[in-house]
Amino acid sequence: MRAVIGGYAIRIERRADVRWWHTALASVLAILVSLFLVGIAFVRVGADPLEVYSEIIKYAFVSEFGLPQTINRATFVLLAAFALIVPLRAGLWNIGMPGQIFAATLAAFGVAYAFGAKTLVNAQLPGVIVIPAMLVAALIASAVYGGIAGYLRGRLQVNEIVTTMMQNWAMLWIVAHMIREGGPFMGRTAEGEGFTLPTSLRVPQVFDLPVTVYAAVVLALLLTWFLTKTTLGYRIRTYGESPRAAEYAGIDATRISTLVFALGGAFAGLAGFHYFLGVPGVYKIPKNYADFGDFSFYGLITGLIARNNPIAAIPVAMLFGGISGGARFMQGKLRLAFGIDYALLGVLMIMMVAFQALAQYAVRIERAVPIPATQRERGESRVESPHH
Amino acid sequence: MSNLLIISLAAAAVFAIAALGELLEQRAGILNVGLEGVMLLSGTFGFIVAKTSGSYLQGFLVAILTGALVGLLHGFFSITLGSNQVVNGMAIWILGFGLTTYIGYPYTGPLGLAPFPTIGGLPVFFFVALALAVGIWFLLYKTHLGLKLRSVGEDPSVAEASGISVTAMRYLAVVLAGMLVGLGGAVYSLVYNPVWSYNYLQGWGFIALALVFFSLWNPFFVIAGAVFFGFLWQLSLYPELLFPNVFSRYIWRAMPFLITIIVFILLSTRWFRLRWGATKPEALGVAYQRES
Repeated sequence: MRAVIGGYAIRIERRADVRWWHTALASVLAILVSLFLVGIAFVRVGADPLEVYSEIIKYAFVSEFGLPQTINRATFVLLAAFALIVPLRAGLWNIGMPGQIFAATLAAFGVAYAFGAKTLVNAQLPGVIVIPAMLVAALIASAVYGGIAGYLRGRLQVNEIVTTMMQNWAMLWIVAHMIREGGPFMGRTAEGEGFTLPTSLRVPQVFDLPVTVYAAVVLALLLTWFLTKTTLGYRIRTYGESPRAAEYAGIDATRISTLVFALGGAFAGLAGFHYFLGVPGVYKIPKNYADFGDFSFYGLITGLIARNNPIAAIPVAMLFGGISGGARFMQGKLRLAFGIDYALLGVLMIMMVAFQALAQYAVRIERAVPIPATQRERGESRVESPHH
Repeated sequence: MSNLLIISLAAAAVFAIAALGELLEQRAGILNVGLEGVMLLSGTFGFIVAKTSGSYLQGFLVAILTGALVGLLHGFFSITLGSNQVVNGMAIWILGFGLTTYIGYPYTGPLGLAPFPTIGGLPVFFFVALALAVGIWFLLYKTHLGLKLRSVGEDPSVAEASGISVTAMRYLAVVLAGMLVGLGGAVYSLVYNPVWSYNYLQGWGFIALALVFFSLWNPFFVIAGAVFFGFLWQLSLYPELLFPNVFSRYIWRAMPFLITIIVFILLSTRWFRLRWGATKPEALGVAYQRES
């Protein structure tokens, strides 16, 4: 495309090679523009958006209460991002984080329930045995729940987006069955929340943070190694680039898609395990559990912004963990309507996609030079050629 | 029981109208997995306008316009910029989900208009859906325009070579589809269940998307599938009508989603595919770059 404005020609063309910094810049711009647009909501209630954002940052990253909350939320987002990243490396979409998160959470609480944790709140249960058992149950349940979608995709070409979304809604109602109206996991207060874990079964802490936080960082490194340095990681990538070529190379489609969804599901499951069994003040399936299902979609954006790179996802997850929590804090302070963090989520997503798409194009401004006569002739003959 | 059937048809109308829109654009090679987002945006804006103006007509018009604009947005990303259609659809879904949660929240609650009229007790929009199915079938298979629309969904470069503008056809498809999906969103929020609450659509957009895949891109199968899911949904709300005291009501609410997966599995088996023939548009989801 070429437009001439006052002696200068503006040309927009598709880049032959998109460098990593084009996409990195696009991601940063997308975040800034989104924050600007959501800032309009603050202006509408008469607040100065810059001041609001500085308060959000102060609350989320500096304050004594906010920082641990940010880290815990970021860990949840990061693990949910891994749940997107692994299947997406194989070109498949996992939007089943909420379903996988609660499959794991129910399994973990199921183990605690089996050990009598519901009735004996102050029970000294052997955490050394029960906590690992809860973890294993959580990982297996979420890997199986995720793996179903992958198996169906690989074996029968069942669209994985639809399957995982259906699994989410099914699981949300199954959780309701378990914790509400006399469900087996219903807490003592009978207010529609799950029973509280006894102290002996909570995820242990190191420096006031649950160990799952450190585990997530280590997993980012391990996952990067797995995806880039191992044969299996290479196979996943090959399949993602061209399923047909991968099949010629002897890669089993069903096995790959089942594997990536099982692994992705297990990461989502770990996110649930971290939040509902590890974060101080939670230690149960809360009444507003569905909110956390929605919150896990920040993992989706995190994975996309980090361009499928588990380590790059760490700072992005920190940012979103902080901003979404801080925005909710300010929403209360400024008496904004519910859902400012959801609005940010939505705007971020569309901006991300817009800027990533635009990064594929280059804009060149050059002095408009009259096109030489010879070229013009050639151009004309080309236009006529189809009519021969 | 007859009440159950009537309200099933009301639900079916929502599934069918949205799915018919999606079917139309998929026939032209455009896959929008963000149906849920389009329906949330159009349904919410339609609801807000209808509630504040007191007019159903204005609500529906705004919803249809919203659907067309969101369709255009998805089209711009997918057709002009040529970026991954699945990513674009995901973005539309999350945008719809996030934005409507914030914008719609102050309007939480019932619509407060007189109930939408019916035809002899039967839901008007079910008949609209039937008419649309016939109309879309006629458009796609009996008109020259329909042939052009389908050709850009099968092999865009051949279509272009025979003088059809792939870009124009696909834009036409996304706008028409957006209008239909927008109407579907409004039928939910203004007629079927005129009470706004956050994320009120509960995955219906995704069920409608599944319905298009189930239907093997046939408008009449869309209607049949929509009636099936409408009935299933109502049964999950009022299970005691047929199966008293089996499962808790929450397990029943999970049923339609689980059964969607099971139906999906059955329809994807080799047996079913061979029997009915796979008729997926060949170029579905593939961006077309004209050679210059």
